[in-house]
Amino acid sequence: MIQKKICILGAAGVGKTSLTAQFVYSKFSEKYLSTMGVKIDKKVVKIDNTSVNLMIWDIHGEEKYKKITSSYVRGSAGIFTVIDGTRSETIQTAHGILERVHSDIGKIPNIFLLNKSDLSDAWDINEQALAALKKYGDPMYTTSAKTGEHVDLSFQQLTKMLINP
Amino acid sequence: MTDETLPLPLYQHIATHTIQQLEPAWLQLEKGSERIIQTGGAWQHYCQKVPPTGQQATGLFDILFGMLPMSESFELPQVQLQDGKYTDILALCDINDDWLLFCDVTQNTLQLQQYQQISNDFILLKAQMQQTLHRYVGHEVSERIAQGEMQLDAAGERKTIATLFVDIRSFTPFNERHDAQMVMQTLNDYMNAMLPPILQHHGMVDKIMGDGVMAVFGVLPSENHCCLDALHAAKQIIQAIYTLNQHRLSSGLEQLGIGVGIASGEAVLGILGSHERRTFTAVGRHVNLAARLESNARVGEILIDEAMHQALAQPDAFTPVTLTLKGIGQTNIFSQTQPCIHGI
Repeated sequence: MIQKKICILGAAGVGKTSLTAQFVYSKFSEKYLSTMGVKIDKKVVKIDNTSVNLMIWDIHGEEKYKKITSSYVRGSAGIFTVIDGTRSETIQTAHGILERVHSDIGKIPNIFLLNKSDLSDAWDINEQALAALKKYGDPMYTTSAKTGEHVDLSFQQLTKMLINP
Repeated sequence: MTDETLPLPLYQHIATHTIQQLEPAWLQLEKGSERIIQTGGAWQHYCQKVPPTGQQATGLFDILFGMLPMSESFELPQVQLQDGKYTDILALCDINDDWLLFCDVTQNTLQLQQYQQISNDFILLKAQMQQTLHRYVGHEVSERIAQGEMQLDAAGERKTIATLFVDIRSFTPFNERHDAQMVMQTLNDYMNAMLPPILQHHGMVDKIMGDGVMAVFGVLPSENHCCLDALHAAKQIIQAIYTLNQHRLSSGLEQLGIGVGIASGEAVLGILGSHERRTFTAVGRHVNLAARLESNARVGEILIDEAMHQALAQPDAFTPVTLTLKGIGQTNIFSQTQPCIHGI
């Protein structure tokens, strides 16, 4: 079976662990628990007739004084860059992370996830911010780890990008 | 620090103590490959059995997938294991051999997690508070307040401001005719159309009272005169309601008619309320006048007082009117009507 390592990156509190839990275990918890370091989960994704064992690295949130260690991303075939749709400042963090990934390991498949779409009333992403993200040319989905909206679809899409580059 | 700078018994004590805490376990790998050639240390702490020699290391540890063979030394800090323990993994690229060292950091990581949790909770709470503030005073001002560049205090400052009142005409019968959930949805659509023009023109939403809103201009910094900002906001609100009504019409919903009253004058700005619950507000004679103007305004009509009219650079579009206002008496005011309902 094909094995691929993917990393889930983003600022603290954007919902990286919740997205992983929704995808791997179909579970969501309202309780927020900060991720320390890295936690690895696995799930087999089937694309057409090909099974891919995804090694999902759920990495701690990036902060001003706590950058993501570049060795975590080593050997990754693809990444999700997660943004909290209710906190526009997490877009800036996403830009910083992506630039560093590009400089450390080169350009690899990436999907932007604008998470927390269930909180539509608090949505804080404007067209200008979206345009800046679109410049990377990477796919983008609005997701909700709570309702599961576009979560499976995003993982399927990234897996397709990994096996059909 | 080495045994050359520290007496040997002390050095040995520290080394022993540290090693005991870290519960190290190690693998020696064939240079440039993943094959285990020797193992040692407290492996029972990390997995059920000691990794067998001759095996590929990545087959035994998922975490190493994509990491081997080593081209350089690296470190994977705080890797969470299945049983909730945390380990640092150090990969050392030596001249003759490659090494992997596992060190238990569970205790330290769980302590750090408590601090991290408080810090992250605070970040999320701050973002929530800022978003609430943002809704009242706009993005730019809330950013400035968050960065400490501006304060909203209870100093009771006197200032010339323009106060705008707007509400939906005949909303009480509308409320009585419809289900509460539908009324709530209508109010939300109305507020979503009406509040952005206020914020865009540097107004501050002072109160929302059902279908009515009071906003003040001149409190937040603006390049324009407060009266001009208030008038621009009023016109834009009417335009926004006209657009909303077009959508409502196409959905077979009733149209909403609004009236606006604006007056200008000196007001005392400050925080009103008890220690437990406070609210920012503007107090002044013209505030009452603005409320009276709004209650007399017809659908699509903007009524302004004389002070507003004098402050506007091009007030020609307004028609002078004399009205008898409740509690105030006969007052000279100015009127302008804009279409806010489809077909007017």
